[in-house]
Amino acid sequence: MKGSVLPAEAGAPARPRALLEKARAAFHQQSGPLTEELVLRPGDFGLGQVPARLKPDATATAVCGFCSTGCGLNVHLRQGAAINLSAAADYPVNLGMACPKGWEALTPLRSADRATSPLLRNTRGELEAASWETALRVFTDKFKAIQERHGPESLAWLGTGQITTEELAFLGALAKFGMGIRHGDGNTRQCMATAVTAYKESFGFDAPPYTYADFEESDVLVFVGSNLCIAHPILWQRVLRNRDRRKIIIVVDPRKTETAMAATQHYALRPKSDLVLFYGLANLLLAGGCVDRDFVHRHTTGFEPFARFVQGFTPEVVSQATGLTLAQLRQFADTIQRGRRVSFWWTMGVNQGHEATRTAQALINLALMTGNVGRPGTGPNSITGQCNAMGSRLFSNTTNLLGGHDFQNPAHREKVARVLGLDAARIPAGNSLAYDQIVQGIADGRIKGLWVVATNGSHSWIDQSHFNALLDRLEFLVVQDMFASTETAQRAHLVLPAAGWGEKEGTFINSERRFGRVRKVARAPGRALADFHIFQLLARQWGCGEMFSRWTSPEAVFQILKALSRGQPCDFTGIRDFAHLDACGGIQWPFPEAGSMRPVPGPTVSAHKSHPSHPSHPAGGGPERERRLFADGAFFHPDGKARFVFEAPRALPEPTDEDFPFLLLTGRGTSAQWHTGTRTEKSAVLRKLRPPGIYVEINPSDAQRLRLAPQAKVCVESRRGQLVATAFVTPTIQPGQLFIPMHYPAANQLTCAAFDPYSRQPSYKACAVQICPASDAGG
Amino acid sequence: MTSLVPSQGQFVKGAGTASSPLPLPTGCQEAGTKPSPPLALRLHELALVPSDARTLIDELLEEQQRLTAVEQFAWRKDHHVIAAQTKLYQELLPARAPGPGQQYAFAVDLDSCSGCKACVTACHSLNGLDEDETWRSVGLLHGGAGSGAVQQTVTTACHHCVEPACLEGCPVLAYEKDPVTGIVRHLDDQCIGCQYCILKCPYDVPQYSAKRGIVRKCDMCSDRLAVGEAPACAQACPNGAITITVVDKAAIAAAARRGEFLPGAPDPGYTLPTTRYHTTRGLPPNLVPADQHDLKPGRSHPPLVIMLVLTQLSVGAACVETGLRMIFPANLMTQLSSWHALVALGIGILALGASTLHLGRPRYAWRALAGLKTSWLSREILGFGVFAALASLQAAAGWWPALRGLRSPGLGAAVSLSGLLGVFCSLMVYRDTRRPFWSGATAALKFFATTALLGTVTILFVTTWQALLFPAIASHGAYRQLTVWLATALAAITAVKLGLEAGILRHLLEPRASSLRRTALLLTGELAEISMVRVLLGLIGGVILPVAFLIRSPAPGGATLGITVWMLVFAALGELLERYLFFVAAVPAKMPGGIGT
Repeated sequence: MKGSVLPAEAGAPARPRALLEKARAAFHQQSGPLTEELVLRPGDFGLGQVPARLKPDATATAVCGFCSTGCGLNVHLRQGAAINLSAAADYPVNLGMACPKGWEALTPLRSADRATSPLLRNTRGELEAASWETALRVFTDKFKAIQERHGPESLAWLGTGQITTEELAFLGALAKFGMGIRHGDGNTRQCMATAVTAYKESFGFDAPPYTYADFEESDVLVFVGSNLCIAHPILWQRVLRNRDRRKIIIVVDPRKTETAMAATQHYALRPKSDLVLFYGLANLLLAGGCVDRDFVHRHTTGFEPFARFVQGFTPEVVSQATGLTLAQLRQFADTIQRGRRVSFWWTMGVNQGHEATRTAQALINLALMTGNVGRPGTGPNSITGQCNAMGSRLFSNTTNLLGGHDFQNPAHREKVARVLGLDAARIPAGNSLAYDQIVQGIADGRIKGLWVVATNGSHSWIDQSHFNALLDRLEFLVVQDMFASTETAQRAHLVLPAAGWGEKEGTFINSERRFGRVRKVARAPGRALADFHIFQLLARQWGCGEMFSRWTSPEAVFQILKALSRGQPCDFTGIRDFAHLDACGGIQWPFPEAGSMRPVPGPTVSAHKSHPSHPSHPAGGGPERERRLFADGAFFHPDGKARFVFEAPRALPEPTDEDFPFLLLTGRGTSAQWHTGTRTEKSAVLRKLRPPGIYVEINPSDAQRLRLAPQAKVCVESRRGQLVATAFVTPTIQPGQLFIPMHYPAANQLTCAAFDPYSRQPSYKACAVQICPASDAGG
Repeated sequence: MTSLVPSQGQFVKGAGTASSPLPLPTGCQEAGTKPSPPLALRLHELALVPSDARTLIDELLEEQQRLTAVEQFAWRKDHHVIAAQTKLYQELLPARAPGPGQQYAFAVDLDSCSGCKACVTACHSLNGLDEDETWRSVGLLHGGAGSGAVQQTVTTACHHCVEPACLEGCPVLAYEKDPVTGIVRHLDDQCIGCQYCILKCPYDVPQYSAKRGIVRKCDMCSDRLAVGEAPACAQACPNGAITITVVDKAAIAAAARRGEFLPGAPDPGYTLPTTRYHTTRGLPPNLVPADQHDLKPGRSHPPLVIMLVLTQLSVGAACVETGLRMIFPANLMTQLSSWHALVALGIGILALGASTLHLGRPRYAWRALAGLKTSWLSREILGFGVFAALASLQAAAGWWPALRGLRSPGLGAAVSLSGLLGVFCSLMVYRDTRRPFWSGATAALKFFATTALLGTVTILFVTTWQALLFPAIASHGAYRQLTVWLATALAAITAVKLGLEAGILRHLLEPRASSLRRTALLLTGELAEISMVRVLLGLIGGVILPVAFLIRSPAPGGATLGITVWMLVFAALGELLERYLFFVAAVPAKMPGGIGT
């Protein structure tokens, strides 16, 4: 490109004026190679202008692999390999938008600390590269030996909501039916177990009823324990597309979060007083005559006992428990009462509590009693966490038998065995242990071998130090992950290197029950293999390969999963294949085959006015783009009715006291951080978008009283551990409370291992701590 | 082995063919491009024989490396030139181009900015920036109290100012403000990487790329705007918080001069930023940036530290020499002068050499005079260029008999004056950045005091050195008086300078977090040890040793020279540390940042 600096006219005697021009160009250079680096040119494929040096020769849409929003990402390809990506303009979920994690989805794949080869702990205690042959042999030999010595209950696996549905099913089927591992659970226990349990008990099936268009069609949106702006930015986009000028956004959250800032009404209740609040609201709505008697009568059971039960939750009682004023309670109830299409949305603030299931059900009850179910813009709606938590809920073969079936139901076991072509006796007739019970099993010495797939419990599990001490007691710990650097992998005896999102095929199911495609657009590093392939190899090595002879590719497994779903509420036998998903921009369950026995419950949502029409909507093959459940009021219990489930509130497992006077809340920090950061910390841009180190939010009045200067190093201590953090003194946190984002490894050294008794989900959101200047600590 | 496609591979006995295990709805088979069954059968056989060279592991590793997205999903072969995103952002763009007196500007609806930061990453990806390069950032303001607590995220990029400080300061005219759109563009190929724009911009906009040796910045996606597309940040905001508007420059200027811009942001009266921040929330008066108390030392710019201190030493030596010649007998000074001139010149050239180390692309340094009209950096370069030329002439005249005729008090005065003008330009370079710690008075004090201090100690050192070499100097009647004068002056200047430098500490008493208070906190906090060393070096080199020198009033000789060598070393190190602190403790103006830890 030197020519552009001083274009040489070889041989020709330059005229003085031309020379002058050249000199001027050199003295004030308007263009050249550096300028060229940033020039934009039409990218084609509907991309608009793209950097000229990153012009693709094809594009393909893949669903994002971080959260459960399930955004379509347009991957820019050159010779089949991803060179860039942008948000897909036509995907029905995100409508051309993505959050920072989505924009940076390709970056972690190129990280230097990817696991590129199996690693085996050697006699010196270091992880050392090994061949796949060795890794497979050691895996099998060690686990079989443990099974022989300690019995069939001595092995367990901890899975994930981060791998594809087909892989989740493969893992669950291989482990339980093939290897005879009795106990398995996933990190979805940490995020969605409560919603699962609540929906199952209330509706008869784990069925979040909504579609994202409901954000746009609601006139009252109630967000409980959900910082949507940060945790699900693209769902917040859908809220802002709601064109109802009089819409009311209510946020129930102890903190003045980004979402609380954007709310019309913010109720900063005392942490974990939400169950009392919702029972109190039910009582106020009853008193106000705001009960949809017709709906309640025709479609629910248990309303009368519920109505009697909530009478005890008078405004005075509720005000005392929640810290909200009587006027606030009345305003809240009035707003619900006046709303025509009220939707209730909850996330981890509800799910991660000591009485989480009943709290979620208290929201379900509010929706049921006011008839806010099944209509556009309504619903008790759990917003999911991980990209494939919904896939895990249906197909991980942990809490549910494959396809939302019941291990304890002989007919279900027969059906699954028939579809899979295996002996029904191989299917356990009982449920396996939940995550915390597996941990307890290790503590009790009953579980000796653990297989961890795509999760980082050493960082994320509650009361982390205890958990890590237990991991060290295992006879054999296998970690299968993209990164050998995770806190959990560093403790493993064997690390199996996995290909990540973007390096394999399959499907995810998002929050609104939409199947979306994951694509192979990048080459996995070294000898890393897709989890799917790892399961294929392990099946053969274990000696149960025959059982999986038809599990030849993700798409072949997808067909098996379809057959498993037949006749279930989640029936998706109408989805032909992966290409069908591509053509439709994903397809929501249920979508039974035309003419199948069970019709699609509920009519379809008419295309919303503000939606761009899909340019390639397939004729005759696709469903409507957005569909919700229960428009016909038919729920999944045998009697077709939803149930009011309730229970007296229980005290906090660890209330504050003199020694530990602060309540510690944990949660998401920024939209640029994902859980334990194994991926987001690999992007230089995402690292710029989050506070670099651990910090603790504290109210100015507390900081002043304890003489903690802004930005000072402080020590936060619970009964289980302590950490040093930077004090961020801000009025957005209430006095007496502290907040630490969960993304920093030390955060879970403080949390208290308490669980919801029904969902077994950990209560991350409240434990008692104390805080002091770091200089005073340790003395 | 490309014919071996294991995606349908079977690996156990009796597995049958690769056809799907379940009856597929019609249309499924056509959808993909599947391999044919016989290949899979072969794979099956392969895997059955353990001794075969190719195992299932090999097959799967090979399949893992095969990318399939294009062959399976290549229905989008048609070239859509029109951006599919267009329909989503039409209302974010202005209906027409700016008229006379108008320009494009970013407008941010703070009520809609929810802190997702998609704008930052979209700008990064859609502009193909370097791995860690970002042209937009999102900060946080917080304040209020109780139920009125407020947090407000703020997205910010280049403000395409009406009076861009970057453009004004650029010594090579690498910035242009488009006469029609008002967009402030950076000419990457013109840039020499001096990074003065980074010091000039109060919003931390220009980003230095070390691997290229240049600065780059937001150009409001000019290429996109030119074809009717929205800038990356605007089209990627899920909430539509960023729009492009046409603004009236006079109205912007008037609003900026009234201080209307954004709480917690630098004074808009300086560059007249055009970005408009809108809110209907009513922000509380105690709103402060989340990084208000996050004090971090700035960049130290070692080449600039060396350049400033050494140019000032050089100019100081020339000035002291010129002054002494007016006072002391010619027969003493003539002997000394040629050495003084040579030392001053040598150090001056060293300083100018050091300054080029600061440039990302020193081979284009010659462009640096282009900005004389507006840039103090260009003027500084010219000033020291003239100084170096005259000082060379003076040195040559001292040593080259043919030029002896040029020796005159006039030439000495010209050298001194040009050098002092250079130092003046230096202080203006920093004053022009409007950092309070670099105010005209502070910079003038420091730079001219350093000039006097180091000039004095250098001449004292050269004089005692010459006295050792030339007995005629040592035995000259005025020699002792000369050294006494110099040592006295040195002690006095140093004492005054150290005292005035300590004056910054009075800002510790301020109740509010002003920029100077932050500087004082840094100097007494994270930089306390360096500050102490700086004072100690200054005291030893500039006060204790000169006083000892005066008390002992030593005769010319090795011991005397030794003392003056140490004076020079300590004083110079002290000044270098002072200048290091000058850079790292200067708190730059910036837009509100995020939570710091």
